[in-house]
Amino acid sequence: MPDVSVINTVDTSHEDMIHDAQMDYYGTRLATCSSDRSVKIFDVKNGGQILVADLRGHEGPVWQVAWAHPTYGNILASCSYDRKVVIWKEENGTWDKMYKYTGHNSSVNSICWGPYDFGLILACGSSDGAISILTYTGDGQWDIKKINNAHTIGCNAVSWAPAVVPGSLIDQPTGQKPNYVKRFVSGGCDNLVKLWKEEDGQWKEDQKLEAHSDWVRDVGWAPSIGLPTSSIASCSQDGRVFIWTCDDPSGNTWTTKLLHKFNDVVWHVSWSITGNILAVSGGDNKLTLWKESVDGQWACISDVNKGQGAVSSIADGQQNEQ
Amino acid sequence: MRVKEILRTATQAWSPAAHHPAYLALGTSAQQLDATFNTTAALEIFEMDFADTSMEMKLRGSISTTHRFHSLLWVAYGMGTGRSSGRLIGGGENGTLTVYSPEMILTGQDGAITGQSSKHTGPVRALDYNPFQSNLLASGANDSEIYIWDLNSFSNPMTPGTKSQPVEDVSVVAWNRQVQHILASAGPSGRAVVWDLRKNEPIIKISDHSNRMHCSGMLWHPEVATQVVLASEDDRMPVIQMWDLRFATSPLRVLESHTRGILSVSWSQADPDLLLSSAKDNRILCWNPNTGEIIYELPTANQWCFDVQWCPRNPALLSAASFDGHINVYSVMGGCLEAQQYSTSDKISAAFNTSDPFGTGHTLPPLQVPQPTATSTIIPPLRTPPKWVRRPLGASFAFGGKLVTFENQQPSHQALPRQVYVSQVTTETEFLQRSRELQATLQSGAFVSYCQSKISSAPCEAEQDIWRFLLVNFEEEARVKFLRLLGFSKDELNKKISSSLGKGKLPNGHGLDVSDLAEKMQNLCTQREDEGGVAAGTSATADLGHIPQEKTPFHIPVSADMDGLISQALLVGNFEGAVELCLNDGRYAEAILLSISGGEELLKKTQQRYLNKQTNSISMLISSVVMQNWRDIVQGCELDNWKEALAALLTYANPEDFSALCDILGSRLEAVGTEKSCLQACLCYICSGNIHKLVECWISQKDCSCPLMLEDLVEKVMVLQKSVERLRSSEVTVKSSVLEDKLIQYARVLASQGSLETALSYLPEKSDKATVQRLRERLFHAQGAGAFAQLPSYSKPPTGGASAQTAPATTTNAVLSTPSQGQYPSAVPTQMSQLGQPAIPVIPTTHTPGVPCPTNRPVYPKYPATAPGFPPSQPERAPLGFTTGPNLPPSSLPAPASPQSSAPGLIMPVPVPTMPPLSAPGFLPSKSMPPVPPTSLPGGPVSMFSGITQTQSPAPPPPSTAFPSAGAGYPQGGPGAPGTKNITASAVAPPPTGAREGWNDPPAIRVGPRSKKVPGDYMPPAPITAPVMSLPADTPLPQDRGQVPPGAPQEPSLQILQQLPAERVEQREIPSEHMILKTTFDSLVQRCQLAATDPQTKRKLDDSSKRISSLYEKLRDQVLSPSILAGLHEISNCMAVRNYLRGLEVHTQVVSSSNFSEISAFMPVLKVLMTIANKLGV
Repeated sequence: MPDVSVINTVDTSHEDMIHDAQMDYYGTRLATCSSDRSVKIFDVKNGGQILVADLRGHEGPVWQVAWAHPTYGNILASCSYDRKVVIWKEENGTWDKMYKYTGHNSSVNSICWGPYDFGLILACGSSDGAISILTYTGDGQWDIKKINNAHTIGCNAVSWAPAVVPGSLIDQPTGQKPNYVKRFVSGGCDNLVKLWKEEDGQWKEDQKLEAHSDWVRDVGWAPSIGLPTSSIASCSQDGRVFIWTCDDPSGNTWTTKLLHKFNDVVWHVSWSITGNILAVSGGDNKLTLWKESVDGQWACISDVNKGQGAVSSIADGQQNEQ
Repeated sequence: MRVKEILRTATQAWSPAAHHPAYLALGTSAQQLDATFNTTAALEIFEMDFADTSMEMKLRGSISTTHRFHSLLWVAYGMGTGRSSGRLIGGGENGTLTVYSPEMILTGQDGAITGQSSKHTGPVRALDYNPFQSNLLASGANDSEIYIWDLNSFSNPMTPGTKSQPVEDVSVVAWNRQVQHILASAGPSGRAVVWDLRKNEPIIKISDHSNRMHCSGMLWHPEVATQVVLASEDDRMPVIQMWDLRFATSPLRVLESHTRGILSVSWSQADPDLLLSSAKDNRILCWNPNTGEIIYELPTANQWCFDVQWCPRNPALLSAASFDGHINVYSVMGGCLEAQQYSTSDKISAAFNTSDPFGTGHTLPPLQVPQPTATSTIIPPLRTPPKWVRRPLGASFAFGGKLVTFENQQPSHQALPRQVYVSQVTTETEFLQRSRELQATLQSGAFVSYCQSKISSAPCEAEQDIWRFLLVNFEEEARVKFLRLLGFSKDELNKKISSSLGKGKLPNGHGLDVSDLAEKMQNLCTQREDEGGVAAGTSATADLGHIPQEKTPFHIPVSADMDGLISQALLVGNFEGAVELCLNDGRYAEAILLSISGGEELLKKTQQRYLNKQTNSISMLISSVVMQNWRDIVQGCELDNWKEALAALLTYANPEDFSALCDILGSRLEAVGTEKSCLQACLCYICSGNIHKLVECWISQKDCSCPLMLEDLVEKVMVLQKSVERLRSSEVTVKSSVLEDKLIQYARVLASQGSLETALSYLPEKSDKATVQRLRERLFHAQGAGAFAQLPSYSKPPTGGASAQTAPATTTNAVLSTPSQGQYPSAVPTQMSQLGQPAIPVIPTTHTPGVPCPTNRPVYPKYPATAPGFPPSQPERAPLGFTTGPNLPPSSLPAPASPQSSAPGLIMPVPVPTMPPLSAPGFLPSKSMPPVPPTSLPGGPVSMFSGITQTQSPAPPPPSTAFPSAGAGYPQGGPGAPGTKNITASAVAPPPTGAREGWNDPPAIRVGPRSKKVPGDYMPPAPITAPVMSLPADTPLPQDRGQVPPGAPQEPSLQILQQLPAERVEQREIPSEHMILKTTFDSLVQRCQLAATDPQTKRKLDDSSKRISSLYEKLRDQVLSPSILAGLHEISNCMAVRNYLRGLEVHTQVVSSSNFSEISAFMPVLKVLMTIANKLGV
């Protein structure tokens, strides 16, 4: 049984619901966002908690935050119900808006930075059904590509595929510019999981994966661990979590396996960095960790009961109330 | 935003929330006609399919019905089991209530009607289902008729109580959402009645007494049991009243905004803050009934919408039925109406074109349907986000096995702080435990006990064998022990030989006296031959039994027979002829004896001929022994005999051939491919110390993808590497991509479990893989050192695994040590600042060789390979004597000079970085070893030397063959480069050239002993006394330097070599846990020296400080037994608290309980030291 122990409790002082909390690439900074329309950044090195920035600017609840790869600087993106995506950048210790994207007509529900290898590239999924792909072209300029009606009545989640060169599973030596195929997965209110691929500079629907019977709440493309298999996790309002896998180098044959059917909506899936553990956050406020056994079966390895810390914090709160 | 559209005039019912896919059932509306004046009626089921992006909804099934519908309801009855789609209930215009089976309609089968009742006397306008019991539903019709139906026995409805008076139409019935036996009904009078079905009577009546509330809709709050909304159809009072039954005298809240009567309301079950209302003012509004504010207005057609309904399954959707013959499905999440416009218009036209009911040939003029504009319309979403998009919790993984979680408390807990938790997730508990053990062992150097515990805990024989072999590498007399492990014991063999010969006497050289063994090993070959000779001689004597008899009367035959011919040949000295004759005559013994006298060539030839003739089973072996041809054995023996072959190699093979021969044998075994043979091959590779082959072979049999298997492999590799390093007195680098891959994998697993430092220590320092470089960088920063821009790969001690660029001592320690976190931030800047410093003048005369350094910890600084910018491709090693101390406080780093300070026995004012290396015993012998200047920057010294040595050095060393490549191996522009250029000639010292030879081997598999092999007759100088080693720098390199097997019997000097302090100091570090000994002892010596006044004591102390270094040697070599070490630590503790008498007691205990030879070199010194200290009272 795995050991899950709280090593740091960060009091965010958000004034409304927290909707996302993401560590940066190194695991030393924490970004949070909230219905109170703010984004906060904390330095959490060595168990500490130092508020680095309190970013204001969104006019609605902020749904997600995403850290760019540090190669490109300290960059954080946030998306909001206010239909905007803001890209924040730290310059000389000060965080400021680097870019504001207003191209969506409804809530922007999900953002995801592409793999380091692709440069600064951000996918955004919106309730207007569209997905935008923003690519930094230098000099403060961003190239915008938009997939309209990617998911009827709304896209809830986007997640990039790891950078893999087709036909080659081996790491490329540095210095060579590999011919990556850019792909990402999205999930939406049409109950579909869709794969998208860039061909000749245009984004095209590559696959349509059907299994969910309700909104797809989140999708996560597993990190590449050098194996030829691609894996995607999807979770849904219907309580189901599916693992989609593709062994086929051309990426066309996807098979699905039901990880579990929960009794409530499943909001979020997150792969561990090594891609062998999946954290599933469900509507019954339950967090579970799942691991694939050698024979390919997925097993729940942990019932993280509200992260122990929460339990103690409730106790603290009651004391305060008394 | 409108998303779907159906052209119908119909009452509607969504499929239940649990139903997938979402269907919308439409029953032809009563009292409305479409443009066709069609009076037929139908019940149709449409599917919401968003995979189809058009506005069209797919008709999935329909039946025609005998009557039109006033109300329609879809209940989840029976849906939990099987493939049932529940039931559709239709309230007809004539009072009939009909139960349909949706799946029958969908599949087009007969028997869709499963129940029908005509209990009601008028149109059934009101229908609702019980949310707790799906078999219960309520219906309301004219004359205050309310029936409760049980779908399990449909024919007999109940009434909730006596009819309410005055009698009126029941326009709405509603079950409470929280309490299952509470039902409410309302009618045009505006009065609502709440029924308790347990009591069968009304319990409360709600009315504002305005008498203008013409109730068109009534809904219970989805979450608050006592709250209910009433909607008024009366144009004079177009309001929605929210009541709380706890205060049922007046409405809690009145929602006023519609300008004409409200036709329909729908309360979202997914978010109680969302209430829809449609009214005769053509508007569809969305309210937050809990606050009273309007949060949305749907962009709708200019038509009355008589029914709005949230989709139970898809909370963002609602359907609206309007009198213009449209059913529209909207999303409240906004979006952009664009391409859909045209298709909508087209469809409307098309629908009318094709429906020409009167056959006039003319299409009807279009109704006042909205003609959408072609411009795209952006439709905003709800002003505040609905509950179902507000993610309440989340858990995301972060680097290093961290998990970030948060959850939002229920509203009742809103006072709680909003916290985010960072957790460490460790899934591989056993793996981590074992990894820690391995780390501890690598640091402490307690490999023997580690191997022993591995042996005792090994799950299988094969595993045990491997660990036994690995263990032997750490013991003296490895070859002999290998032999023993293979089942060949020399002692037992001696006994067997003796008994077989019938003698009680053992051959010489037996016994277990360790000191004898080396000599024995050296003589082993000779002995064997001697023994063989004795045996042969015995048989020869038997054959030539007549010789003694002929002693007295000596007759030399000269006849023509064989004897005569032989003797004649001998008489004329024709040995060749004599031997030939003997051989032909089968007199092999004589032939051999004669050929011995006939010269080496003849002997060889004779042996060859003899052996060629022999075909028995041992002839091959004898042949190999005699011919020294082991290749034939390993290549030709049956693989079942691998043990014997390996034994032969262990006994005979030349050191330079040994490894290769073992490898050949191993390869053959490996080629068999079975698990067993591969394990045997692994044993061969362990004997040969071939890590690369071991890894490859191991992986070929074991799937090392799971963490524990990986750990299995890494343990063996690390231990083998340590043993090889130990035997070669230098680090070993293995350039093996397979191993590198596995180490990367291993590092990843470690990182994923939160062991970031350890992970970093295993990661290959030098890799052309971008992923590895990135992982290094990530690991580095993840440890909290993100403030520094340099790449960590250059500021981290290198790892031994697959690295080829590191200082010998550094590597030794890098593998061993896990530098403590937080070291880098301070260490790096320190070194950086020093990098730029100009040369610091050297004062070579200030140091006093032989005087201990008072504070010795800084004496072992981290080798500044940590300097940023150190090129990763650098294949060269640092100057000798550079050692690392993983725990060194950075502040005490006299970076440039510190390498030399590692030499024990130097007095050193710690912070002054002017340490000449002259007296460093750690330096390899060199004819002349001028001081290395303090500017000999990390990583750069060799290029500096190579340039200067030959031109400006006062005593240029004779260029050795290897030296030039040493310089070449250093790339330009290393971190030391800038500093190097500033070095003045006077400050520059040439490197110890003898030493250099070892350090410039190509980075490929580095198997040669880094230490120079000292010729056999070389007697090492007493430790530390001579600042300059006297070994000629041009001493030819021993040819076997490349492949020295462990404990090679023919290589006694190798083992002696290992004892040499001069060989060890420069490359080995005292294990950190024993550093305290050195610190304490040295500081005591210094204290005494300061306090001592009389010359005799001073002399004693000087002597002590020299002799104590032999203890340090043993500590470095890690050859002291745990009990002695424990004793030393206790003594050290006593010294630290100045309790010398107690220290002397311990000393006595240690001496009396230990093997004297093990401790004789240093224990007396300690005694002297403590006695003096006691006397001086320091």
